[in-house]
Amino acid sequence: MRAAVAQSLMALATYCLGDDRREWAQAMQAEYDEAGAEGRQLGFAAGCLIAAWREMPRHVEGRLILADHALALGLLVPVAFLQFACAIGLSSGQSGVYGMLAMARTEDPYLANAQFSAVPVLLALWLLLGAAHLRLAWALLDRDWGRVVQAGSMIAAAALTLVMMVGVLGLHAAFLAPVVGVMVIELIFVMAASRRHGCITTEVTLVHSTW
Amino acid sequence: MLLLLQALSVRGRQWCHGYDLMKETGLMSGTLYPLLMRMAEQGLIEAEWREPAQTGRPARHVYRLTTAGAAFAQVASDRGAVPSPKAVFA
Repeated sequence: MRAAVAQSLMALATYCLGDDRREWAQAMQAEYDEAGAEGRQLGFAAGCLIAAWREMPRHVEGRLILADHALALGLLVPVAFLQFACAIGLSSGQSGVYGMLAMARTEDPYLANAQFSAVPVLLALWLLLGAAHLRLAWALLDRDWGRVVQAGSMIAAAALTLVMMVGVLGLHAAFLAPVVGVMVIELIFVMAASRRHGCITTEVTLVHSTW
Repeated sequence: MLLLLQALSVRGRQWCHGYDLMKETGLMSGTLYPLLMRMAEQGLIEAEWREPAQTGRPARHVYRLTTAGAAFAQVASDRGAVPSPKAVFA
């Protein structure tokens, strides 16, 4: 158990040191084996992780990793939970899908029937938005730009579909405005992070050209 | 840093491993490695990879003071404190 924890700490330290300090990470790993032979691998690994954290703000890649974590944990994950809360109407009494329905109050029985029939789809779309945000946060931390583009595309597609359905069903779109606004801001941040990593490839261009 | 400089200057031009430096100076890995990185960036120490003594083990990094590092260690030792490398080599 101790060895597994120590090895995990070393792996995290290697990740935090990044490519800039790969050689130092390898040097630490070699000494970790020596410390392990004396049964001191856990303390050594914890120290290496502290060293990696101390070094992060000092090199470009470390600063990018810190920025990615701040973006993922400080913005994307809270927005994901905001989407879940909005979808099921937890954020306030009159929000989410049920809030929109309550505000609709149409006298047209056909439209009212269509609105009620669309509830599961609207709910699924909104929950999908939340799930896509979690996926985007995960992909960003993995620095897997292909998955970042996929998740971003999924968010944009789900948001666009949600807005269109709300419009077609004659529901109050005002509920969506803050949610869509936050999503636009976060996607701009994600694009900026991707550009800073210099990993915007032609694949991204292809995905965007399909919109 | 003074401890590390002392440990390295005692060895002269001999190479030593990071773990040995830890044991010798009593510094933890979280303190030792940032110091080594900083000293390598400032040209005070040099590092190279050495094949392990035992088979099946990974290659290990070894360190020693450069000429500039030895001069810096001498100044630090004379003053009893660690001066800025820039001040010494300006």
